[in-house]
Amino acid sequence: MGFLGKGLFQGMAVTARNFVGTYFDRGTREKLVTYQYPEEKPPLPENSRSFPFLVYDGTPDAMRCVACKICETECPPQCIYIVMDRDEKGKPQQRPKVFDIDISVCMQCQICVEVCPFEAIKMDNDYEKSQYGRFDDLIEHLPDLLKSNEYYNEIKPTEAKAVDAKLKAEAEKKAKKGTSKPAAAAPAKPAAPAPAPKPATAPAGKITIPEDAPFTAEQRAWLAGFLSAGGVATSGTGVSPVAVAETTGETPVPLPEATPAAEAPAGGWPWHDPGLGMSQRMDLVKAAPLADKLMAAMAQTDCHACGYDCRGYADAIAAGSETDLSLCLPGEAETAKKLEELMKEAGKL
Amino acid sequence: MIQQISPIPTGMIETQTIEVSIGPQHPSTHGVFRMDAVLDGETVVGLKPVMGYLHRNHEQLAERMTWLASIPYTDRLDYFNSMTNNWALCLSVEKLAGIKVPERAEYIRVIVSELTRILNHSCVIGFMLQDLGAWGTPLLYAFREREKILDLFESLSGARMMCNYMRFGGVRVDMTDAMVAQAKDIVAKFPRFLDEFEQLLSNNEVLLARCQKVGILPKELAINASISGPMARASGVDYDIRKVDKYGVYGRFDFRVPLGEVGDVYDRYYIRVLEMRESIKILNQALRDLPAGAFVAPEVKLRNFKIPPGDGYGRVEAPKGELGFYLVSDEGGKMPYRYHCRPPSFINLTTLEDMCLGHKVADVVIILGSVDIVLGEVDR
Repeated sequence: MGFLGKGLFQGMAVTARNFVGTYFDRGTREKLVTYQYPEEKPPLPENSRSFPFLVYDGTPDAMRCVACKICETECPPQCIYIVMDRDEKGKPQQRPKVFDIDISVCMQCQICVEVCPFEAIKMDNDYEKSQYGRFDDLIEHLPDLLKSNEYYNEIKPTEAKAVDAKLKAEAEKKAKKGTSKPAAAAPAKPAAPAPAPKPATAPAGKITIPEDAPFTAEQRAWLAGFLSAGGVATSGTGVSPVAVAETTGETPVPLPEATPAAEAPAGGWPWHDPGLGMSQRMDLVKAAPLADKLMAAMAQTDCHACGYDCRGYADAIAAGSETDLSLCLPGEAETAKKLEELMKEAGKL
Repeated sequence: MIQQISPIPTGMIETQTIEVSIGPQHPSTHGVFRMDAVLDGETVVGLKPVMGYLHRNHEQLAERMTWLASIPYTDRLDYFNSMTNNWALCLSVEKLAGIKVPERAEYIRVIVSELTRILNHSCVIGFMLQDLGAWGTPLLYAFREREKILDLFESLSGARMMCNYMRFGGVRVDMTDAMVAQAKDIVAKFPRFLDEFEQLLSNNEVLLARCQKVGILPKELAINASISGPMARASGVDYDIRKVDKYGVYGRFDFRVPLGEVGDVYDRYYIRVLEMRESIKILNQALRDLPAGAFVAPEVKLRNFKIPPGDGYGRVEAPKGELGFYLVSDEGGKMPYRYHCRPPSFINLTTLEDMCLGHKVADVVIILGSVDIVLGEVDR
């Protein structure tokens, strides 16, 4: 039995039912779904994410972040900016000096969290981040980003517990291993402060850069290193660290006895550049000694994920004090494979 | 079905056509989309869609990023259906890299994608009715149901809309038993809502008068213009990639592909209602059969993920139609050499003029509404 307007009446019955229904569904929230927001906040599920923050254990000084820049590299919109902390002698401190996240650019994708090997960066669920300013106010600096592990445990209990258990197991494994490893390996050796180029250090018979060549100081330094790396073994064997320190006018740093001394040659190590690809880096060390070749196989981030910097890890492998070739986290399988290949070539494996 | 415009009889008042720009800042254009309409009185005699106001360079961006970094960007294509967008990219990459996806991950993908289809279709119907002048009621009823699905997505992936949930070789986090129960609850209650929704709309005389015989898309044109999704099926084209390709584990589910007869706006409305009912069927089966096991292929790395040289095209049946990614990997393989996205709403929009000619301006709005566009995807 149809009549014109029947559909309209049916529809109005539905709206009436819904209108009345909201008053009977208060408890179940089946029909009434409005939250009076600023006063009443909907409960957030544990997986909920807003912006990243950095986790520290105990005090903010004991942050987990080691400034390895993996998240900076992998971030899709490139909103993370990291500068590694160094002491006055240029020694890396295994922690960031600057860690900025531009939350106006951040798209909350969680990829930084997924790629972090140190469980240092996690997703917060605080979504009330409105600011009056459009520019500086929307950049979160290191002090804003640091939050305690307790806070992390509070907002994401299940996930945080799993992370804590994992870190504990890793620490125990490391402690066990550490007894067989020279303890002095941990303090990092001074990194290359990239001194001014010295044409005098360029070996005779090699190409030297003419004084009037149109290069900036940086390009000159790189070129000098590039040319010298071709044939002359400078690091570790050629020039002693003390001698280099004298020529550059720096006070020599007391070095740990257990590890062989190593200092960057003039111009730095040209392959020590995370921007280069593996094959490019290997080209630079074709005729260099084993330690340099090993170093060139690393990811060059000096992230200390292995417990050394890139130089230290290479020297430790070359010296035989480190036998695990899979410690380079940023380099992943590519580095591990190359290290194995190089060690086999050298007949040490 | 296009009506011929009768020439103006001589001796009467001379009129001329007028060009009207509808949009880009108009609520009925579903975003920053412009229609350059030529009107004779109130009748449309010409209509050019103008796109590009929301262009974000998605394809070029993806060519300078790692494969993984493109996934969150696909969320922003069709921001209503991030799950199917993720799946389309992951499927293409998996095809190209030869990755095998674990059973459980395939089922979870089906579950989230069908939930996405439900939420998209119910909201599209709401938007269509909004365009007809049914202010609020159907749309907000649809949004109420959508919210339940988004709650599940939030507890599953961490975000309501920008899920970024799928990974090459699986999904990012596992679906817990509580979430499966929540999904089952949603699926169990949805048919009741759908009945109510249909009671509200399907026989409504105003809806029938405004939608029937309006914006007819002939079957031949739909095929020639490579229209896909519910729009093609409303015109009677039996083409559903879930059936044709049987990607994922779709081959295992028992469901039917509803087809329209006339291809008008009403068919496009009703085909979505029917598709939601089929999705419920798939969901019931997938939730029942959800196997235990790994949710992501363990051999797939997050960082330094590389693909050997080659090219491949992967496509899924997104709620709006065929969403595909054509990818080329070259030496190195860390990032795509070429990355092309085939967005369904962009291609479905190409027949807008053919559907609108001869109709009134007010009908243009509802015809556009029935195409179901999201500008994030049209412009990329």
